[in-house]
Amino acid sequence: MHKVVEMNAVTKSYGMRKAVNEMDLFIEKGSAVALLGPNGAGKTTSIAMMLGLVRPTSGRVQLFSEDPSKAKVHEKIGVMLQDVSVPDRLTVRETIDLFRGFYPRSLSTQKLLQISGLTEDAQTMASKLSGGKTRRLQFALALAGDPEVLFLDEPTVGMDVASRRTFWEELRSFIAAGKTMLLTTHDLQEADLLADRVVVMQLGRIIADDAPEKIKMQFGGRQVSFVAGDAVLLEELSKLPEVTQLQTVGRKVTLYTQDSDALVKRLILAQWDIRDIQISGGGLEDAFVRLTEQDAHKEVLR
Amino acid sequence: MKPLMAQVRCELLRTFRDRRFFILTLGMPVIFYLIFINQEGSALKIAGTYWGQYFMVSMAAFGVVGSSVNTLGVRLAAERQSGWVRWLRTTPLSSLGYAVAKTLTQLSLSLLIILVIFLVAGLLEHVSMPMTRWLEVFLWLWLGSLPFAALGVLIGLAGNAAQILGTLAYLVFSMLGGLWTPIQALPPVMQDIAKWMPTYHLARPAWELLAGHAIAFTDVLVLLAWAIVFLGLAAFITRRIDSRV
Repeated sequence: MHKVVEMNAVTKSYGMRKAVNEMDLFIEKGSAVALLGPNGAGKTTSIAMMLGLVRPTSGRVQLFSEDPSKAKVHEKIGVMLQDVSVPDRLTVRETIDLFRGFYPRSLSTQKLLQISGLTEDAQTMASKLSGGKTRRLQFALALAGDPEVLFLDEPTVGMDVASRRTFWEELRSFIAAGKTMLLTTHDLQEADLLADRVVVMQLGRIIADDAPEKIKMQFGGRQVSFVAGDAVLLEELSKLPEVTQLQTVGRKVTLYTQDSDALVKRLILAQWDIRDIQISGGGLEDAFVRLTEQDAHKEVLR
Repeated sequence: MKPLMAQVRCELLRTFRDRRFFILTLGMPVIFYLIFINQEGSALKIAGTYWGQYFMVSMAAFGVVGSSVNTLGVRLAAERQSGWVRWLRTTPLSSLGYAVAKTLTQLSLSLLIILVIFLVAGLLEHVSMPMTRWLEVFLWLWLGSLPFAALGVLIGLAGNAAQILGTLAYLVFSMLGGLWTPIQALPPVMQDIAKWMPTYHLARPAWELLAGHAIAFTDVLVLLAWAIVFLGLAAFITRRIDSRV
């Protein structure tokens, strides 16, 4: 299959800190990938290396099998970065036309204004737009060159709920047209909604890489928590076949499991001395929190 | 070529919408010219030519330095800080394309500034000389403005300090280089200092052309040396900044 992005054993260090650590990532044409992780996980650094903005300390990054810092390879991509403002003293239309001028093939100004919902603001100075509208203009600019691949770094930050929804719709039709998208986000709903592949990063490494449903299944599970009586031996609880992990705070016990039904049945039938039973979890949100917490925990122990 | 022209077009559009450019960068040299010519009279003899022509060159030089340092430098700094430069680097406009676009913009602005000063001198103060001399003086000042674009690039790396640093460089270089007061009227120490200033070596060949002399090789050399210093420093600082990012 045709590779859009290839990262081979890529490390980026800033002084002692490794923002990205021995990372391998391949993105195939036509896929919609969400790069998920807490702040400082290395998502933005990774995307910056894919775009040729940052050079890796070691390893190799390629975009369309070429050096990503070459201007020529950028003809096929559109980009939205974080913390970027548009230049002053240009109208929305002029800014869009500037970007259209950069690409050999471009969408019409009319179409771009329509996609971003800025038709009425075409003559407004771009730097005077509200935060949400600025984000939408940036999306229009990312689409200016009719790209095959979109790179979006936290695209919906600063958008209101309504803009976010239309933005997602636009993105979905972009993906449906067989194009490729990579976005970073901490919004799990966004990842779940748009991506067919979720790559979870933590401390510069990939800690999970799968379809959203698989991530949920694999790591989500459920938690069964209760208050255990004095006679209950915690080691025995952790030996139960359904239990994948055990956490205690005083006598309050939380068991992690893939099969909460079977676990609860066993606990009741065996007449364990427990009360206040609660079952929770199951969403991608939980999967994500658990994944990153687990990994942070490992890092501390190391 | 297409990305380049799109960029130049927008750069010029943005400059023409900038009131600061017209009031300060273009307005100041014009007003200074009119004030100081009327004070001394344009027929006053100086350095083998007349005050009206001599000070026209001074103010044209003052103007192009101002546009390089203020317009180019301050805007570069703003575009770097706003992340705009970073974004442009992800488009098919190459870094070289961006630099060339900035240079072409700067040359267009210098052309405008020199032309306006020449027109003011010619039409309002009745400065006259043979067409070839107008052309020679014009060409020298125009191309001689390029090393100051390098200074603008350097100042563009100063971030928040760019505005202050730019204004400082603009005024100090202009004053010490003898663009405001001819160095003949300055104390000897100041005259020695002036001879090291890039601004002096931008104006001097044009003054020499007015007096019917040829351009001295040393002037070209000193200007080039300054350009290399500005660009070298800019390259060094850029590398340091980029290694942090």
